[in-house]
Amino acid sequence: MGKYIGKRLFQIVILLVIYIAVVFFILHAMPGGMKALFISNPRLTPEAQQAILKAFGLDKPPLTQFLIYMRNSFTLNFGVSFSHYPTPVWEIIKERLPRTALLFITATIISFLIGFHSGKVLAWKRGKAVEYVSTIGGVVAYTIFTPVLAFLLIWFFGAYLRLFPLNQFLNPDLWANTSFSSQVIFLRLLLTASIIGAVILVALILSYRLSHNIRSRRLIFYIPTISSVVIAVFIWWKSPYGIYGADILWHMVLPVVEVTIISYAGIMLVMRDSMLETVKEDFITTARAKGLPDRVVRDKHAARTALLPVITNFIISLGFTLSGGIITETLFSWPGMGLAMYEAVISHDYPLAAGCLIFTGIFVLFAHLVVDIVYAFLDPRIRY
Amino acid sequence: MSALLSIEGLKMYYDTQKGSVKAVDGVSFQLKKGESLGLVGESGCGKTSVAMSIMRLLAENARIISGHIYFDGKDLLTLSEKEMNKVRWKGISMIFQAAMNSLNPVYRVGDQIIEAIITHEPEVTFEQARERVKALYELVGLDPGRMDHYPHEYSGGMKQRAIIAMSLACNPQLIIADEPTTALDVIVQDMILREMARIQKKLNMSMIYISHDIAVIAEVAEKIAIMYAGKIVEFSDSKTIFKQPRHPYTIGLMSSFPSIRGSKKPLVTIPGEPPNLLNPPKGCRFAPRCPFATNVCLEKEPPYKEIDKEHFIACWHPQGVKRGAEDKDA
Repeated sequence: MGKYIGKRLFQIVILLVIYIAVVFFILHAMPGGMKALFISNPRLTPEAQQAILKAFGLDKPPLTQFLIYMRNSFTLNFGVSFSHYPTPVWEIIKERLPRTALLFITATIISFLIGFHSGKVLAWKRGKAVEYVSTIGGVVAYTIFTPVLAFLLIWFFGAYLRLFPLNQFLNPDLWANTSFSSQVIFLRLLLTASIIGAVILVALILSYRLSHNIRSRRLIFYIPTISSVVIAVFIWWKSPYGIYGADILWHMVLPVVEVTIISYAGIMLVMRDSMLETVKEDFITTARAKGLPDRVVRDKHAARTALLPVITNFIISLGFTLSGGIITETLFSWPGMGLAMYEAVISHDYPLAAGCLIFTGIFVLFAHLVVDIVYAFLDPRIRY
Repeated sequence: MSALLSIEGLKMYYDTQKGSVKAVDGVSFQLKKGESLGLVGESGCGKTSVAMSIMRLLAENARIISGHIYFDGKDLLTLSEKEMNKVRWKGISMIFQAAMNSLNPVYRVGDQIIEAIITHEPEVTFEQARERVKALYELVGLDPGRMDHYPHEYSGGMKQRAIIAMSLACNPQLIIADEPTTALDVIVQDMILREMARIQKKLNMSMIYISHDIAVIAEVAEKIAIMYAGKIVEFSDSKTIFKQPRHPYTIGLMSSFPSIRGSKKPLVTIPGEPPNLLNPPKGCRFAPRCPFATNVCLEKEPPYKEIDKEHFIACWHPQGVKRGAEDKDA
């Protein structure tokens, strides 16, 4: 396994080099070329222009420029943002990336869990009214125009019911007199989520390693999972930061719902399809003939095997989810990578736009790596 | 000795858009404890449908119209799904037609066998179940060290053996083997069949072999039932069926298989095709292809009756001829 991960990392580096080369090419293909893009901003002082010229070797021949750009990309030097002058691009990305990551990882996990289970149940109820209604609902959610869904959510939950806040990722009145920045709280939230995630993962693996009995497996899984969540909530509750953390989470609900609905439908439809194929397999007949209860045949034999194509499909759709993220973040004013990229493009902030583009690529590549590793765990036929 | 399995007048139809396909149409037979029966017939004659009816694993559009399947004194067709699940594997286990795909690719082979044991005998611990799988692997001639491997790491013959081991896991009283060796080459096929017959004798189980290959079946089964178009046309012990087939269809089947030891002679095929079961012929279903058919065959269905001791046949004109020439050569 270690060897495989090493190999995949190596492949990712190669892909990244190619990807950065494409970004470099696009920058050069723009009117005026890269030189004009990176220094032609009235806010830059002549000294700053000279510094950028030197750092990116913009007066050197294209090949040297390319090598310098490559080196700069790997050392996280993407130049200076025009619109946030004089903040370096990397500083902005460092701040924005965790926000996007949390939004997408949360939405992905929720949509995956719901999509997987509903697809499974629907396929099992083939031919019943529930199946038709849900499938049509799924197709509608899958094909809906992302901004329309966002407007519907904003109008219904934000403006009509007034259940959720409409703008930004925090409430400025609440944060007016705080001595700490929102980023501190946000990173702590992210840390909490990661710890809980790690506990759940370890509990899941341990439950399979330590026991062969369904009941004791459930105990081993649920006790640490529930207690870690309870402890986390308790600590936040008692700490003075609790209210601020809750404020950020509160603002996160609608964008998460939006991304969840969009990616949920795809997962559910593919799962349903894959499940319908799997139930025709001979080993499902064997499982039934063995006298296993219906639920065991469905969950342990059919769903577990049907999951594999769903994951493949999921890898392919990751990129699309992220591009949908630009729309979602813009409409919900969620200050993540998507919004940063959108603003950069609108305000001709080329260094920031290029930096965001590269980081979106890195994010997708690493997400693929994670999914590939998960896949290797799920399908014993894949060995490295 | 009373019958372990007794099927009485089983009728099972498939509902299709064009009407009912009469896949099993009035099948009756009995199987004693420790006895082995071969169910032989062409593709599509309803052999597998009979097996699936016994296991109650029918497709959604299949309907059991009438009949009874008594197993160990209980009518399986009246049991609830939950009660039926107790009979499955513990009472009757099955070896499926496509053994290659009968194992779930994502679980270890040993674990799939253990699953069956623990489902039916919850008091057995995981370690005890592992011991039992080990013993089963030895019984079927597999290396017990392979039980922690995945199905794709097995060869075809090994998968087949693993499936046989799985079918034995809960000490069933009856095993239904549906084309157990069709996917294997002839040498492995023969080995596996002999192995199965040996284990069946050793453990004193009943067995139903289903195959289209009468020569293969005759080697391992004590009784043979010949099926044609959803009905049993002849039933007797395998020796009688081989030496003195009485039904014209059985005789036809015999002469369409080559004999290795017998003299070289052209293989005789049965002309025509099996009838469409959506709309089977009115009289005897074999009549349109039968060289001996008369008017009565086309008009009235022949009764299924005992013409000799333990020799049942459904034919208006039983043929008494022995397969003389070939026997003398052999």
